[in-house]
Amino acid sequence: MRDSVLLHKTGPQVAQELQACIGCNECLLACPALAEPITIDVLNRETLSGPISKPVARYARACYQCGACVAPCPVGLHRDAMMMWLKVRLLRSGREE
Amino acid sequence: MSREHKAGISRSYVESADIVIIGNGIAGLTAAVEARRLDPDARIVIITDQCHPTINTPALKQFATGKLEREQLLAYPAGTEREQRIHVIQAHVESINAQGKYLCLEGGGGFGYGSLLIATGSKPNGLPVGTPGRDFDGVLTLHRLADYLDLRRRLVEVGHAVVIGGGAHAIETVMGLLSWGITVHWLVRSATIMPRVLDQPASSLVLEHIQRAGAKIYLETEVAGIVGRVGVVAGVITNQNQLIPCQLVLVCTGTRPNAALARHCTEPMLCKNGILVDDHLRTSVRDIYAAGDVAALKNPQTGSYEPRAQWYSAVLEGRIAAAAMTGQSERESSSFGVPWHATHLGELSMLTVGNPLHWSDEITSLTDSSKGSYRLMALAGDRLVGYLSLGPKQPDSLAIKRIIDEGLPVGSIKKALLKGTLDARAYLSQRRSEAAHDLVTTGKLPDLVPVASTGKGAPIVRVLSTTASLPAAAAPVPMPGIKQGQAAAQAGQTARLPETGPLRAAAAPVPVPIPVPAPASRYTAPLAVVESEEISPFTGNLPAAAKPQTAVGASSGRRPSPSPQQRAQSQGASPARGRSSSAQKLLPASAKLPAINVNSRGKRPLRNLWSYSEKRPVFQSGTGGR
Repeated sequence: MRDSVLLHKTGPQVAQELQACIGCNECLLACPALAEPITIDVLNRETLSGPISKPVARYARACYQCGACVAPCPVGLHRDAMMMWLKVRLLRSGREE
Repeated sequence: MSREHKAGISRSYVESADIVIIGNGIAGLTAAVEARRLDPDARIVIITDQCHPTINTPALKQFATGKLEREQLLAYPAGTEREQRIHVIQAHVESINAQGKYLCLEGGGGFGYGSLLIATGSKPNGLPVGTPGRDFDGVLTLHRLADYLDLRRRLVEVGHAVVIGGGAHAIETVMGLLSWGITVHWLVRSATIMPRVLDQPASSLVLEHIQRAGAKIYLETEVAGIVGRVGVVAGVITNQNQLIPCQLVLVCTGTRPNAALARHCTEPMLCKNGILVDDHLRTSVRDIYAAGDVAALKNPQTGSYEPRAQWYSAVLEGRIAAAAMTGQSERESSSFGVPWHATHLGELSMLTVGNPLHWSDEITSLTDSSKGSYRLMALAGDRLVGYLSLGPKQPDSLAIKRIIDEGLPVGSIKKALLKGTLDARAYLSQRRSEAAHDLVTTGKLPDLVPVASTGKGAPIVRVLSTTASLPAAAAPVPMPGIKQGQAAAQAGQTARLPETGPLRAAAAPVPVPIPVPAPASRYTAPLAVVESEEISPFTGNLPAAAKPQTAVGASSGRRPSPSPQQRAQSQGASPARGRSSSAQKLLPASAKLPAINVNSRGKRPLRNLWSYSEKRPVFQSGTGGR
């Protein structure tokens, strides 16, 4: 088994995964980096578009891509890729400021 | 109408709206939000009789067992409706007057619409009407938030519970109760579970798993009656003459589309196991659309119309309906594809994509069962047409759906698929590189052959497409691509010519003509979009052959995936994007772009693609202002 995993999914793929998210919160329950009460609706919304709020930004920075969120997902989505996308957005918005 | 006055909205707003959506489930609200994005000025109204905002209904199971709080159920952040200027009216719609284009609300009063979306969802089947004792306290039919609130309150005082039903919903309920330490008796009517989705070995595997988790399973058993004491459940009597004492009876016997409005419409609306809709979610009545659990979509593999009571398809339907209602169908690149269902059945992850069972002889089936998992693939030659996976790990479910939807050859990954070890990202990126290589060397888009998309339900399709083409012909906005209607497809093509024309001029040095999609390629077109989008050098999948030629690739190293708009700003040149106006504005500069890029972008599906990713630019500008 190769260990090299492409962390990054393309924008449309991330959008598709976000749309398929059923909001069961299993990924957040498994997350070791989550330190604040962030709800999945806000996380999904801000991963996809719009301004990124402070707690979500902190969370995105805290995420170290351990992948603990992937296995619990009942729908087989990749929260790690979504978080990566959020990180990219965060970097970009920081650059624009 | 006092409610609206309270909200401080003028009467003229309230009495009619451009877009009226009945139901605020996920399909309804997604459609409203998407319609707002596509049409910033439209008056959008949701009429619902639900007393709570849109929630993640699949998460209700977690909610019932105390894993989640109520606030965590929200599907959209609180206040989304107000922020998006979507007016929500709490009322019950009784009937539709399709000639006058208005709704009759319960208690009198009407409401006019420009286009109407029916997203009324489904209702539970519940216990058979004649079942004795079905009204005792403690008999719950699990469907809505209220039911789960009720369940959650009761869990603490329950020792034994009976769950009735043989579907995924029942299994999830059983597992939830077990996690609370409740003794669960599970009654299943047939000898196997989910016969339409699982075959015999798969069913046994699931049953075995649930038995091991601690549930008591009663196969081929039905409820004969429920006994109670002073109005409260005391036990269940089965048709095997068994009495199971319990304090709670949970009914999970499936749902059916809530299509009452189809019968209360002044014009006949085709409705059979859900409101029949075409690929743009139009019903057989002009300006009326349906989405979500209530809509019966055509299965591209079997040609039959069936509702897809799944979260993801409801989201997708909401989006497509919004695009159709705002007259921007051509900008929406999503397609439904094959049915897709992924869930956890206890410890097992279940995934069914397409149609793994019930095929005729020309389909070969491969199965694999090892290490407590089970996989079944249905193959038509080199292409996957159905996939069923049960096991401790969920495969990359959306990638497998994509493999089936796009009809990608699976010869090289057959074994990995069968063993459940497929690295879908690697496979798809390799496919993209190959496609990009072909695109660069031949200038042609890759051939995507739709899988088993030949419509066997021809009669009904014809009915729908003829009825649907009537409004399309009269409507000011051309709605391209109505199923097999070649004339309609061509009309759509000509309507788009002014946009593609200049692009072709810009691509003058290239002798390769723009490949015109074959008629009736409704199914393939959106797929081509996805495929070719990902060739973009910005997605990190830059094919080796394309690198030296792509001028815009120069800055790609810095950012993993800049949005099209950023690209436009930084480069001053960009491939054609979703908005034709901006594309035209940028045209002179884009002349220096590689010809192949422009050529391929000039083709219609690629425009769709950029519109798909347009949400990124939108928020980009929003964040820039901070």
